[in-house]
Amino acid sequence: MSILQHEAAPADYVRSDGHGKVTGSGQYTADLSFTGQAVAKFRYADHSHARVLRVDVSKARALPGVYAVITHDDVPEVKYGGMVQDRYLFAKDIVRFEGEIIAAVAAMNDEIAKLAVSLIEVDYEPLPAISDFVASMDPSSALIHEDWETDGRADELGSNRNTLGYSTIVKGDADAAMAKADHIVIGRYTTDPVQGVPIEPRAVIAQWQGNKVTVWSSTQVPYAARAGVATTLQIPQSDVRIVVPLLGGGFGAKCDFHFEGHIAALARAAKRPVKLVFTRHEEFFAIGHRREGMLIELETGVMNDGTLVARRARLVLDKGAYCGEGGFFAQMAAMHACGPYVLDTVNVHSFLNYSNNQPSSSIRAPTAPQVCWALEQHMDAVARTIGMDPVALRMKTLIEEGAEGPTRQVFDYVGMKDSLAKAVEMVGYGQPLPDDEAIGIACGWWPCFAVESGAYFKLNHDGTGTIVTGAQENGTGSVMAMPKFVAEELGMDPKDISILYQDTDAAPWDMGSSGSQTTFNSVRAVLAAAAEVREQLLDAAADALEAAREDLEFAGGSVSVKGTPSKAVTIAELAAAGTFHGKGSGPLPESPAVQAEGCVGRLGMESFLAPQVFTHAVRVKVDRDTGVVRIVQVAAAHDSGAVLNPIGANGQVYGGVVMGIGQALSEGTILDKDGKQRNPGLLDYKLVTCSDAPPIDIEWVGRFTPDAGPRGSKGIGEPPSVPTAGAIANAIANVIGAPVCALPMTPERVWETIQGCAK
Amino acid sequence: MCEVTATFAAPTTLADVLAAMAAGARPVAGGTDLVVGARQGKKPLPPSLVAIHQLDELRAITLTTTGLRIGALVSHEQILADATIRATYPALADASAIVGSHATRAHGTLGGNVMTASPAMDTGSPLLCFGAIAILQSSSGTRSVPMDELWTGPGRTVAEPHELLVAIDLPALAPGTSSCYVRLEYRRQMEIAIVGTGAQVTIVDGVITDARVAMTAVSATIRRIAAAEQALVGTSGDRAAADAAGAAVSEACAPISDVRGSETYRRAMVGVIARRAIQSAVTRATGGTVPIPASPALHGAS
Repeated sequence: MSILQHEAAPADYVRSDGHGKVTGSGQYTADLSFTGQAVAKFRYADHSHARVLRVDVSKARALPGVYAVITHDDVPEVKYGGMVQDRYLFAKDIVRFEGEIIAAVAAMNDEIAKLAVSLIEVDYEPLPAISDFVASMDPSSALIHEDWETDGRADELGSNRNTLGYSTIVKGDADAAMAKADHIVIGRYTTDPVQGVPIEPRAVIAQWQGNKVTVWSSTQVPYAARAGVATTLQIPQSDVRIVVPLLGGGFGAKCDFHFEGHIAALARAAKRPVKLVFTRHEEFFAIGHRREGMLIELETGVMNDGTLVARRARLVLDKGAYCGEGGFFAQMAAMHACGPYVLDTVNVHSFLNYSNNQPSSSIRAPTAPQVCWALEQHMDAVARTIGMDPVALRMKTLIEEGAEGPTRQVFDYVGMKDSLAKAVEMVGYGQPLPDDEAIGIACGWWPCFAVESGAYFKLNHDGTGTIVTGAQENGTGSVMAMPKFVAEELGMDPKDISILYQDTDAAPWDMGSSGSQTTFNSVRAVLAAAAEVREQLLDAAADALEAAREDLEFAGGSVSVKGTPSKAVTIAELAAAGTFHGKGSGPLPESPAVQAEGCVGRLGMESFLAPQVFTHAVRVKVDRDTGVVRIVQVAAAHDSGAVLNPIGANGQVYGGVVMGIGQALSEGTILDKDGKQRNPGLLDYKLVTCSDAPPIDIEWVGRFTPDAGPRGSKGIGEPPSVPTAGAIANAIANVIGAPVCALPMTPERVWETIQGCAK
Repeated sequence: MCEVTATFAAPTTLADVLAAMAAGARPVAGGTDLVVGARQGKKPLPPSLVAIHQLDELRAITLTTTGLRIGALVSHEQILADATIRATYPALADASAIVGSHATRAHGTLGGNVMTASPAMDTGSPLLCFGAIAILQSSSGTRSVPMDELWTGPGRTVAEPHELLVAIDLPALAPGTSSCYVRLEYRRQMEIAIVGTGAQVTIVDGVITDARVAMTAVSATIRRIAAAEQALVGTSGDRAAADAAGAAVSEACAPISDVRGSETYRRAMVGVIARRAIQSAVTRATGGTVPIPASPALHGAS
């Protein structure tokens, strides 16, 4: 029972942000307003590639009701970006994609801001737009960043002209092994760019007090946003405070520093709070952050018994105009071109190329869904070539304990084969089906990311507690579950523990909601902080009860002597009489050893810490006359180590599968020849709706995993969206007799494939 | 200077609405096209709006001596729930059931759908097949416009700016008549027709004596296809006849290529969808059952 006498506790936990979100009383960034606040609007580039010859904002500035108009001339001459600093807040000489920002306006209201934006005069010299990201690596292609050799980027990236990053995975002599294979199977696949599409369009509000600025922002990564503001405005991080009100989803699209710097600069110029709220249209075309399009070429040498003797691959990824935080994509994609399989030899080349398209950066499991979709279709093609059942081929070649990966990492227990066996069982693989239905399977993997984190935990005088964490709640519930874990350590009720979060002035640095790592790293820190308080409480209770520390236990909001429950003191009594506060980070798990000397472009992805492995099995029904595919059933089996919070973990799988269905069948940004989006809206960028969601069965095959996340856990946020498209692809191919080699597998593409088969 | 002048009125009588329109106001009913379009930046809101949602007399579905009168403010949900429409004019229920989302169907009206005059609107093909009549009223009088004369292009009708659509009259149907509307859809909610077809057949003693086939989203306006209708009359409405009619629709259509589908795909699909709509109309006209809405139920139909 709670110290504060709540109703009886529910079966599991109730997230403390739930009531506000469900009833509408919760406040998102766009819900906030400040006295005297101005409305912000951006003037975007009118071209996807052009030289800016003249920007004249005088008419806009003269418009009554306009408080400020700023351009590159009004902010420090500083470039920003992740692994490569290649972008200014406002276009300087060149615009490189259609969403590039020329100027920002702060005005009294929306209408005046819009009018002011239209009054800004810009002269351009149009340059050839390079939308074809494969052609952009041609030595004759014009350069998108002319100063690529001198902008200070790291050698490890392997940059060359329009290729931002180049990575290889090399193991043994793949060419020699390929020559000796019984069969060589070749596949070529292309994917369209995909958007994150959080339900909340982004919003940013900035307010200055003296030299300090507070920015309320719908970001997944408040500390990265703080660093971005500090860097671009050349002010100390201690003068920048980022606060995130409730966040309405992100799916990766709200990772990275984006617009906080523009709005902070605008608020300083306007001398009043300034608020930016994106339209849905802007949420599509103006954010430099979407899933990358790809060309994926795969080649496998296989023996008649299914042994995979060689894998060669060439991947080309569309980076778009700027690096953002996606500089590591080439290597991550290369690892996924190997996949969770035992391969005797490997030779994978992966290119991350600039183009004049919208920049790509991390969307839920960056690079993985597309490469997995291609590789798993390719694996089915390998199975067909040697006349082996695709499940049997995978069961023979998937990694298991003691197996060696593509970079010679030797794995501890991974539930890879267990997940395949379970998914196949759940979906009823092998059962007779109508001739327009079939089952497909896909397997995949994703690493855990060990990152520093820090947290505080303090007891209040009434015995309640407060967690102070830098972690960011992205809707997954991973931050909301923290009180449950702390309560378990201290015998408290989760409802008695509040959370101070999403405020960079409060907690130590945190990576934010990215990389499936909030529970993995931030809960580790929170538990370390709680452990300190536990020690302090043990000392105090030992004094109060005149008992030895080792004889004490925590339960029901009290500390008592084991075996003598009557000899107890409540945490509330102890808290009232003392100061109890802890801090912690917890020990960082170490990256597994690899032998990757032959690989270039090593950025850390060659080592997969505590791999999350998984299999989806999907049953589809194909309308052969139209190419429309319906998903009948999805079975998802995952190894995420020990599952700490089943409600939250299952929620990630349900959502990830539905996102995966969208990526498989309907979600794709369509570009014109200049790289401008042709479907930047929800009518023609087709998300899957609730009505389309199939029954989804989930099984967890993981075990307690040492040297991983807290309590033997791994991550879970990203993997569920990885294998769904591949499983759907294989199911479609099993119905229509041929693979659909372009993603998304739209009805028209499925229909064209059927027509091709009929010819 | 940046002045925004806008007027909004919501009268309770038809006379006041018509007076406002005569003075230049544009009508708004459910707002599901007008407001969404303005938000998307497609078309700004008219400077003067007159809301007609308080005119309850436009919200009725009434049996008349000549058939059925559907008030302009009747919502898609109302159509879907109406037993007469479901039994006698099922193609209209097929269409209203799949417009937008639950929210769109609760707010969106038949009158708004008709007067927005989108070539992709779902209720248009059924109304054309029924031979429906639009009743336009203004301060100076009332006139009847057959549905096949109403639309003149995407977003354009023959209605004068001061004329309000007050009702749509559906004629009584001969015995042995039924109908179906099918659209090609990529998802089950929030969808817009990639192609669509309405079909109505009258079957006497096993033979089609009258056929109507109209196509959606494959020409500048929704229109009937005489060649497809001729291919059906005199037949039993079997697969061969439906195929021939479908081929006639594919032949007659003039689709565009856009992000929703290529010209080639649309042309092929409208034939498939027409065949399914025709066969389902025949099934219904001969006492069989096809669920409402027909489109999701016909996924994978041969």
